[in-house]
Amino acid sequence: MSAAPPLRVLVTGASGLLGSGVARRLVESGADVVTLQRRPSGVAGARDVLGTVTDAAAVEQAMAGRDTVVHVAAKVSVSGPAQEFEQVNIGGTGTVLEAARRAGAERFIHISSPSVAHAGTSIVGEGAGPADPGRARGHYARTKAAGELLALTADSAELRVLALRPHLMWGPGDTQLTERIIDRARAGRMPLLGPAAALIDTLYSDNAVDAVVAAVTAVDRVHGEALVVTNGEPRPVGELIRGLATAGGAPEPRLRIPGGLARGAGAVIERIWEAGDLGRDGDEPPLTRFLAEQLSTAHWFDQRRTRAKLDWVPAVSIDRGLELLAAHYRRR
Amino acid sequence: MRIPAAPATLPAVSSSVPLPGWDPAWSRLVPIATVDGQRTLHVLDTGDVLAQAGVEPDGTILAVHGNPTWSYLWRSLAAATVRAALQGKGPVWRVVAPDQLDMGFSERLPHGALPRPAAAAGAPDPVSANDAGYRTLGGRLADLDALVTALGLDVQARAGHPLLTLGHDWGGVVSLGWAGRHQELVAAAMTLNTAVHHDESEPIPAPLQAALAGPLLAGSTVLTDAFLRVTTALGHPGLDSDLKAAYHAPYASPERRGGIGGFVADIPVGPQHASHPELRRVAASVADFARPALLLWGPKDPVFLDRYQADLLQRLPQADLHRFETAGHLLAEDVDIATPILRWAGQVLDGTARTRNPEGAVLTTPGDAASDVGSGTVGSGWNETTGRPLWSYLDDWRDSSAPALVDMAGDDQTPLSWNRLSCVVDAIATGLVARGVRPGDRISMMVTPGRDLTAALYAALKIGAVVVVADAGLGVAGMTRAVRAARPDWVIGKVPGLAVARSQRWPGRRLSVSTLPTPLARALGVEDSLYRMARDHEGTRFAGPRHADGTVHVPAPTDPAAILYTSGSTGPAKGVLYTHGRLAALAGLLRDVFHVRPGSSLLAGFAPFALLGPAIGATSVTPDMSVTQPATLTAQAVAEAARAGHATILFASPAALRNVVATAGQLGPEDHAALGRIDLVLSAGAPVHPKLMAQVAGLFPRAEFHSPYGMTEALLLADIDREAIIELSSRSGAPTAEGTSPDDGVCVGHPVGPVRIAIDPLQADGNPTGNLLEGLDAAGVLGEVVISAPHQKAGYDRLWLTDSLSRRDAKDGLDWHRTQDVGHLDAAGRLWIEGRLQHVAITAAGPVAPGGPEARIDAVDSVSRSAVVGIGPRGTQAVVAVVEVATTDRARPPRPGLASAELTAAVRAAAAPVSVAAVLVTDRVPVDIRHNSKIDRSRIAQWAERVLSGGKVGTP
Repeated sequence: MSAAPPLRVLVTGASGLLGSGVARRLVESGADVVTLQRRPSGVAGARDVLGTVTDAAAVEQAMAGRDTVVHVAAKVSVSGPAQEFEQVNIGGTGTVLEAARRAGAERFIHISSPSVAHAGTSIVGEGAGPADPGRARGHYARTKAAGELLALTADSAELRVLALRPHLMWGPGDTQLTERIIDRARAGRMPLLGPAAALIDTLYSDNAVDAVVAAVTAVDRVHGEALVVTNGEPRPVGELIRGLATAGGAPEPRLRIPGGLARGAGAVIERIWEAGDLGRDGDEPPLTRFLAEQLSTAHWFDQRRTRAKLDWVPAVSIDRGLELLAAHYRRR
Repeated sequence: MRIPAAPATLPAVSSSVPLPGWDPAWSRLVPIATVDGQRTLHVLDTGDVLAQAGVEPDGTILAVHGNPTWSYLWRSLAAATVRAALQGKGPVWRVVAPDQLDMGFSERLPHGALPRPAAAAGAPDPVSANDAGYRTLGGRLADLDALVTALGLDVQARAGHPLLTLGHDWGGVVSLGWAGRHQELVAAAMTLNTAVHHDESEPIPAPLQAALAGPLLAGSTVLTDAFLRVTTALGHPGLDSDLKAAYHAPYASPERRGGIGGFVADIPVGPQHASHPELRRVAASVADFARPALLLWGPKDPVFLDRYQADLLQRLPQADLHRFETAGHLLAEDVDIATPILRWAGQVLDGTARTRNPEGAVLTTPGDAASDVGSGTVGSGWNETTGRPLWSYLDDWRDSSAPALVDMAGDDQTPLSWNRLSCVVDAIATGLVARGVRPGDRISMMVTPGRDLTAALYAALKIGAVVVVADAGLGVAGMTRAVRAARPDWVIGKVPGLAVARSQRWPGRRLSVSTLPTPLARALGVEDSLYRMARDHEGTRFAGPRHADGTVHVPAPTDPAAILYTSGSTGPAKGVLYTHGRLAALAGLLRDVFHVRPGSSLLAGFAPFALLGPAIGATSVTPDMSVTQPATLTAQAVAEAARAGHATILFASPAALRNVVATAGQLGPEDHAALGRIDLVLSAGAPVHPKLMAQVAGLFPRAEFHSPYGMTEALLLADIDREAIIELSSRSGAPTAEGTSPDDGVCVGHPVGPVRIAIDPLQADGNPTGNLLEGLDAAGVLGEVVISAPHQKAGYDRLWLTDSLSRRDAKDGLDWHRTQDVGHLDAAGRLWIEGRLQHVAITAAGPVAPGGPEARIDAVDSVSRSAVVGIGPRGTQAVVAVVEVATTDRARPPRPGLASAELTAAVRAAAAPVSVAAVLVTDRVPVDIRHNSKIDRSRIAQWAERVLSGGKVGTP
């Protein structure tokens, strides 16, 4: 049996936890990896192209000779002006897709989000519904929905596109969710909304990396669709927040806000943030309606199709992940 | 107003009227030659779809809708038959369902005037149409005939192709009437709610009175869509707006609705009505119909009331009946009617459905639901293998002064001798027969266990009447539902029960226990009393009721004896039918396995067994307690009853035993001495905790302790004794000596006597395979518990589908019963129960039965009771543990909601290897009333699903 030629991969957004993790794992597996992001990726063995996905020239340059694209880059935030989201999440995706097509790439893993199909009501054991920019809540979800549709529309026999929707990723080094919860819990500012019992699926970061790497292989068999990726272990949101906070050495959050009040307050704060200067330093508003909904309604998914299609199961359980997270913070 | 003629059309599917579930490929227009010329019907006909798929029908179902619906009513049946045909599952059925003339999308006849009630005079052909040209019953029967001819269904039927009829509402009258007249063409008849006869002494059902009031008829049925709207508002649950729109689609304007009014005007409300003679002919022909018949009934129908179902059952004694307790008039919308229809139609093809011989006797087939329900045969049929008749000791010991009954709950606590009991039973039986009770009559017993109930029960058994027992634990609503389903001919009760019967308008003639003052008796509709019968017929020996030819009727082992209602902890209570032979087998089992023997004295605080003493020849002692609340049994009451009745055996539920232990402090030395004479304690109804058992053993130092397992459908199946329970509990949680992991669930012991216990393994989707495993083949395999025993139920009453599904197995030619319990056998052949089939969580990793993890979680220190439930869609359910926390007297119970971090960790660890998504705390895990032990997991699952979706917490 002759060894297959090494994959030639472009990973966009490799300065983040997921992108860098995927790039690193691909390098380890022998792939030829190029990354594209504003700051150096720090991934040993990968060739960094510095730039953004909105810069067609930089994309063109990074795409040269690639047969596989893992498109992680996105504007990820729960607030901010609409235009920025559109430029990155729709325009940027379009640019990367177009470059991939022209470069003759064969595989395209598009990292999306379950919020693209979510209209604010509870999700209880459902699969991945179709992305719906018309109903998605907030700029992020709306533009990610349009971006996913763009990517899946580009799917063909020549360029096989598979969208993955990791849900609430956390783990050592995650600044989006893990770090914020721990910081706020330390400051006594992490609220629990209502009874905090809503069942939520999350994804430990190493599992997310594994799933994306599995998708790079799986995309030859399964493409043109979106798969939600989670640990398959839903937990009450209060328990997760408690677990993350204590793993980070913070006290158990005690601040409780009624869920309905939080949703209303979130909507107000969100608009103030958008209109004023408060968000300029890159900080997030303390609460958004989207976040309040996320934290007070159930979100858990049917993982059977995802696991079967990707031929992947999460290697790290939530309990084990929390232990690893605690060890990480003890070392710091 | 004149109504113009209009041609038949095909229903148009549009975005505003999407006709959900309808396939335009079924639609066709069929010209038929009617009494007044050629007319065109719109017909739902799956024949073309089947032909295109290349499948040949094995039979045809001819379905007739009522007023004001159309063939859309039958779409689920059409879809199910086509699906089954394309998948090659079972026989292939073609469904033919016309829209009647003037109805649905069929041709509209011209009418010179709006319909008027009872408008017969002056009509040119009163048999087929009234004076304004509206079709009458006779005309509609002729139309159906014309359709059958047009489609050649008669030719096919004569050539041996089975034709089954089906109807609903007034379509039921048309289809049953046609079937009655064409028995040579019809293989079997089926109907949903309908009526072929109205007893003129009864009022017209209220909803029809309004429509039939002359001046209002046209206004409510034609000029407005009131009648249509009222009908489509009868769904349980309510119909979606798309479905309502579909039913309304062919009736959009007054010109389209003439037929609705015409149908109502044709209801033969009295003998003067033009269609009255035709309806009488239909009713008579139905009574002559000897082929198999199926009635599917929605009891929540305000028009077709239960009395019409009773009338149909009388005309069609061979009919199989299924009552869908949650459904009403539109049961085709409320429940899945396709499954029972196709299952039953399959039996018609197999030749296993019940028919009737020319004399009217119901012919049964082996394996049929009622195969051992007698057909009124004379003669005993009792022999060595059947065991003794239930009343035999009453006859044999007629002269004995030994105590037969001691009732500590009644006013008279002096022991009743066999002689007295025998005399009272004979006197009451004589009185009941004199009053009009006949063999086969159903008698609802609204009497709490004690001497009155025992006397009435054995009198009824001697007559061959069927005793209906629905205990008060069901509540008034549950009992009313049960009594309406069983439809007793008689109700025997005390004043409170009779008052409930009166206020809830239960069916049946009324008899009181004690003799009531005349005004009270009259107010309650009471005809006579048992005490008066006992007095008036004192000293009469009762041999049995006499047949017309003078011979004495003696109930045979195959005759029905009793209908016992289940506790209803898992859906509406079900009536479980027992024959004399099966109850005799139960008495024999108690004697052979549990040593309840002639001369024993049985102190029973557990309802079904409190009644069996006289059948075994044992003294029956009833303690002073509320039978519906077992936890009211005190140690004092047990001791007093034991002393008075020289009890040797105590039969009680764990809830009752818990209270006995808790109140033991009140006992004096004599009490202890009485308890010391008891040599057997039987605890039934729920598993018993080893700790409780040890406490019970302390109170009854000489007694053996057994915990039998059973259910209303088979009262004794397995048994485990104290030593085994202690041995098993000592090793729970730890690997066994053999190195295997400990068994999940609760061990209920080895099968007793002739009982066979099999396991039907659960598949990954949670459904059983249909393959019964026994012995070592079943060891360690999780599955549904399926049993076979001579003392199991003879059937479910008026629940044909439930009964048919429960006895679908045929292994070794035996009659099996699906218990809907899940569990497994261990290597030693003992049965372990792990919960109810419908409570199994179907996770992505496979089925998870609640019993195993619950037992392990219950062992966590701070947990007093737990429930493990699945939430979310089957196949990917999340497992949730809901726990009731053990609190000390002073500590406040924790608020319902998420458990603390410590408790969550402890529960998760205990539940392993089952992966628990969430641990919730509640102040109380709800349990059933009767046993105070069956966890209401469905309710808990609903609560957990709400809380874990971010809803309000509240309590389960």
